[in-house]
Amino acid sequence: MPMRVRDVVNPDATLVGRRAWSDPHLYELEKRGIFARSWLFLAHSSQLRNPGDFVQAYMCETPIIVTHGTDGGIHALINSCSHRGLPVCRADRGNAKRFVCPYHNWNYSVEGRLQAIPQERHLEGRADKSALGLKRVPRVEQWNGMIFGSFDEAIEPLEDHLGDMRWYLDAFFGRFPQGVEFVGSPQRWVIEANWKLPVENQLGDVNHGPFLHAAVIPPEANAEVFEFGHSVVTAPGHGATFRLMPEDAPLERVAWGFEGMASLLAPETHAYLREIHALALERVGPLRARMKGLTYGIFPNLSFLWSNTAFKVSHPRGPGRVEYWSWSVVPADAPEAFKRILRGNHTAFFGPGGILEQEDSEAWVQQRIGSGIDFADDRPYYYGLGLNEEKPHPELPGLVGATANEFYARGFFTRWREALAAVEDER
Amino acid sequence: MSAPRVTPKLQHEVEQWYYREARLLDGRQYQSWLALCHPEIRYVIPGRGNPLVRNLERGNEAMISVEREMEGADSDGLPIRDETLPYLALRVERSFKANAWAENPPARTRRIIGNVEIVAADEQTLTVWSSFHLHYARPGSRSFLYAGQRRDTLARGEAPGARLLLAREVILDMAEIAYPTLGLFL
Repeated sequence: MPMRVRDVVNPDATLVGRRAWSDPHLYELEKRGIFARSWLFLAHSSQLRNPGDFVQAYMCETPIIVTHGTDGGIHALINSCSHRGLPVCRADRGNAKRFVCPYHNWNYSVEGRLQAIPQERHLEGRADKSALGLKRVPRVEQWNGMIFGSFDEAIEPLEDHLGDMRWYLDAFFGRFPQGVEFVGSPQRWVIEANWKLPVENQLGDVNHGPFLHAAVIPPEANAEVFEFGHSVVTAPGHGATFRLMPEDAPLERVAWGFEGMASLLAPETHAYLREIHALALERVGPLRARMKGLTYGIFPNLSFLWSNTAFKVSHPRGPGRVEYWSWSVVPADAPEAFKRILRGNHTAFFGPGGILEQEDSEAWVQQRIGSGIDFADDRPYYYGLGLNEEKPHPELPGLVGATANEFYARGFFTRWREALAAVEDER
Repeated sequence: MSAPRVTPKLQHEVEQWYYREARLLDGRQYQSWLALCHPEIRYVIPGRGNPLVRNLERGNEAMISVEREMEGADSDGLPIRDETLPYLALRVERSFKANAWAENPPARTRRIIGNVEIVAADEQTLTVWSSFHLHYARPGSRSFLYAGQRRDTLARGEAPGARLLLAREVILDMAEIAYPTLGLFL
């Protein structure tokens, strides 16, 4: 008798059952109820500047090639030959004229059209090539360089899905006149954990910082989070955390880039950071210029880590395994030396070798083990901290609460519950 | 950098340096290890990707060179780590705190250093390449085998005969990163 999703998470998601993190049947429902019906992050336009440029991506477990076509459009194609299913592209990224399957050399244009079946020159009949292109992801849209795809042809426009998260994303990305660029390939690594815990961690769980990371994060940094920290939910499953610094705070305590090791290691770039802050006042306005971001989450599995300038996607590989991707993001117009330092400030703290992330990934692995414990199904995890304490705010879109309030996670799990229950009800 | 004149004495001295370093790291004497690092150290673990084959390089060794797969410190790509002394010092400091949870209890490691080759030498520095296998066992998890190559620059220290690690590039031979951490000292 498979687990019913309404029995695993209660209606206000103050209780989340252990099976939500471990049950193979629920994972199949996640694929159909969430990953088949959501906008999923694929790539950034800075990775696909020229016709023929491509990068690999995943939509849940489905391998995708994202390409810049010779027609100028961005295409998302399932990386699997229409003949026998082999991947037609094995490189992580690059520039290609065509994708060729190694098995019988069926080859495809970068827009995914089947161009040639080499065997046909020895045969009389002709297959209908127009029906044998690579399978396309039906909806691909971008917002400010962020490229998303969806398997759901009828899905709402990307901008509607992002909603008020655009206001918060702009608070950072809107500062840079030349925009941002993604550096090289993402770091990709496998963690024996459920995909939702890395998501929850970045969606709003700032509260683990002073505890799990006490060995590294200094007490004054934690104090700033408690004093000025805000947690926001713009729609269930989306979230943002940041400090809203006081109007009279000195520039170095407010401006982006002065926090952490980067500015310490590159004092020669302080003039650049001051200039960016002056621009921020103009470009994103005085309120958002006072925002000093921490983490953002966009449903279902995209995260943005403002403090260490990284985009992350949590790709499920079954209920107990995740392939985590993390891109380093830098302002396109930053001095080259500072870009290198920002890159190092990302990789030293986060990613597979990160000083902070090593504690997180161990916690996520141990949570998976805890979620598989026998005879504890009657002890769901407690998600009730700060219930109903979040409120509208005069200036900030969404509902706003203290960073210790777990409403961001309740939002995620009420949406999760609804999405999976909808699939169950269809049967 | 001239072609090195590697005497058996120099080879022996360098190998001894690596054995001592391995003993310090496996013995969790990270503070003593940090003292082997030059103040200007650059410690890098390049990312390792799967690039497109370049048609022009067909038939040449360059086509499948290890270097092509690396996103290193001086590339426009993304290394796994790219660190200077302050970062390494922060890692050492963390190791001796009770709330460094991922290493509490600490992992058990044992590394074998081999293929120590002095590939270049001058008065001040030695360029030394070596290979390692590292056994890693974290309580509460499985055991893992790390394999890779170190491409090091050793500089002279102040004390007579002393050598300090000025640069290290660790080339890991994994296809996918499925280790509990790459935050350790390799």
